[in-house]
Amino acid sequence: MSDFQELIGSFPKTREYIRDFFVYGFKTRNDFTQKSPRTYDNERRRLECWLAPYVRKDHASDGSNISLAIDSNLLDTNPLFGVWKTKSFTDNDIVLHFLILDLLQDGAKRTAEEITDSLLTNYESLFDIQIVRRKCNAYTKEGLLQKEKNGKTVFFSLDNTLAVWIKANENVLDALAFYQMAEVFGIVGNELSEQLDHPNRSFRVKHNFFVHTLEDEILLALLDAMRRKSAVELTIKGVKNKTVVTASCIPLQIFVSTRSGRRFLCAYSRRKRRFTCFRLDSIKHVAALKQTDSSEQSEDAAEYDRLLYKLSQNRTKLWGVSFQNDEGKHFTDRLTMTIQILEPDENYVLTRLKQEGRNGMITQTAPNTYQYEVETFDCNELLPWIRTFTGRILSLSCSDQSVERRFYEDLQTMYQMYQVTEV
Amino acid sequence: MELFSEIYSCYYQVLRHLLSRRDAVTIQEICTGIADEGFEESMLSIIPKLKDGSWNLFGRDKDLYLSRLTQTFLQPLSGLQKSYLKALLSDPRIGLFLEPEQKTCLEHMLSDITPLWKPEHFCYYDRFAGSDPYQDETYRNHFRLLLQAQKNNQYVDIDYTSPNGRRVHHHYIPARLEYSVKNDKFRLLALKHTGRQKMRLEILNISRMQSVRLLGKTFAPETDLNAVIRNSYYKEPLKLHIVNKRNALERAMLHFANYEKNTSRIGENTYECLIYYNQTMETELLIEVMSFGPMVTVVGNEKFLGLLKARLQKQMRITPREIQETPALPQ
Repeated sequence: MSDFQELIGSFPKTREYIRDFFVYGFKTRNDFTQKSPRTYDNERRRLECWLAPYVRKDHASDGSNISLAIDSNLLDTNPLFGVWKTKSFTDNDIVLHFLILDLLQDGAKRTAEEITDSLLTNYESLFDIQIVRRKCNAYTKEGLLQKEKNGKTVFFSLDNTLAVWIKANENVLDALAFYQMAEVFGIVGNELSEQLDHPNRSFRVKHNFFVHTLEDEILLALLDAMRRKSAVELTIKGVKNKTVVTASCIPLQIFVSTRSGRRFLCAYSRRKRRFTCFRLDSIKHVAALKQTDSSEQSEDAAEYDRLLYKLSQNRTKLWGVSFQNDEGKHFTDRLTMTIQILEPDENYVLTRLKQEGRNGMITQTAPNTYQYEVETFDCNELLPWIRTFTGRILSLSCSDQSVERRFYEDLQTMYQMYQVTEV
Repeated sequence: MELFSEIYSCYYQVLRHLLSRRDAVTIQEICTGIADEGFEESMLSIIPKLKDGSWNLFGRDKDLYLSRLTQTFLQPLSGLQKSYLKALLSDPRIGLFLEPEQKTCLEHMLSDITPLWKPEHFCYYDRFAGSDPYQDETYRNHFRLLLQAQKNNQYVDIDYTSPNGRRVHHHYIPARLEYSVKNDKFRLLALKHTGRQKMRLEILNISRMQSVRLLGKTFAPETDLNAVIRNSYYKEPLKLHIVNKRNALERAMLHFANYEKNTSRIGENTYECLIYYNQTMETELLIEVMSFGPMVTVVGNEKFLGLLKARLQKQMRITPREIQETPALPQ
């Protein structure tokens, strides 16, 4: 393992390993069958390097396994942010980064030639002018430097007004501390906080699902396509059968579950002529499908706006992310649950119904008895939520009888599992 | 705009701090800096590069290293970071932090930047209704006072109406402000002295606070919130058995990912998952476990098992026998 490197060049391969370690936390060397044991060893060693304080090693009967012991209740940061800070670089990259940015801190404009000369005179560092120019151009593209042409001469400069202003305004730093924990692309906020030496020590987030930061590169590409109102081709790896397929679609909105942290792309498939959702963690690659001319672009934009409007109408009949039931039917079903709430002691249950019931209607039908009714595309999606009222459900009916049947069958199974009998 | 770029690398951060020092440092001090901020094996990569001059960022004076940088290094914001900041300006919670004039100033500085996302790009489809009133002045004032107290280690005097309508009035140590994504609400993780040098954790909804007053008295910053939380966990964790059917394993692993847990395989297709929790999490955890129905089996602890059985017992009691019988599907 003498060639072991802590840093990596590409993110997607590592993403899979971390996800498996994080989510499952029980896979041993023998479970990783897709790659060679050597690859597994290197990936595991890297993961142990990056996430050392959170790695737990256990000895199982079929070999030792490692997992990540992460309790979001106890943390002021997402340990998996560290994974984003592992990009490899060359010796020139790091030296030029510090020297060029240090040189340009004064705000003066300089040509690539002047920068190259100053690197030698001020810092005793000799660089080829082409390398310096390439780095300056790359940093202009990243937004770190400004580029300005005067005739044939190109000048580079650095404007640090924003960074200085933020550093001087503690309220903004506090906001960054909060948003890195609580909002999408927390990794960007986290890196910014670190850069400005203001780590989060004030905020915790309940219901924080750290693993989903691993999908942020995919999310970035999807948001870019959504801004441009353009179609994309997705490469998708099946969650269950692991087969890889591609799908062309128009990305419309990101659906987020606050209960599991899972994120989905809601898109329109022209081929199937319907809305559909893809789990972000199943999307491996996003390729933008480019429009050929401007008339096509404006046509696409008009279609995009029509689809968004149609989606907003459909959303009122959506419980979660499914636009069809188990049998592939696209029309809605109606579910009715009658529930016992002993007032006033159990008023919190009524509050739960109101807060969590989304588009459903609540009616009091008798003292201590309420009816919850909802019309939705896929009533199967309601079952996990319905089950949370176990102990209070007087009756459940659904126009999709398979849902009703599943509910009562599951209940019977649970009675047997826990040996619950009538008393 | 690259999310995975070396300009955000951990090594760059480590070097930035070392290079920002104006005094000459020994290799031992450099090693300490790397150990504090770097990854586990970063030293093995960084030290040889500094020693052999491949990273010509330090001048050498015998065994001492002196930064070649001429001033305190402040990295400008990248396009991605500006775009992120611009997106935050559309968030309703930003008003809890920024004064209107600060917001205007930031908007002005980012006027030609495209936000990384807009609120309408996202739909939080299962978020609870009834989020906190972020625009309310009293709420904002309470939030700011609590944040100030938390940062300055100050005690606060809080007058609070509990969910059952009981009015309580106490002095608290504001340990952290906790945000719930599911509820879209802020709570205060507050520590309260219970006598004999002991602390108890209380969780107070900010929207239920009637008044918040800063007290002159400060507390020792080393008050360990995590120790209090850990001590509050039941000694016996919740023990679940999961049979991997209908993708239950992955669903459960993701669903309970925000708890400290330990999972191991105990059979061909069966897994055991231990989840650590305390009394304040108990009802929520019970509800979450119930949502899985028969896909997971609670095998311990006894208390949790008892709570689950009681719910099932009650369900059996209130559901008429004829309804409990599974209705046949029409052929």
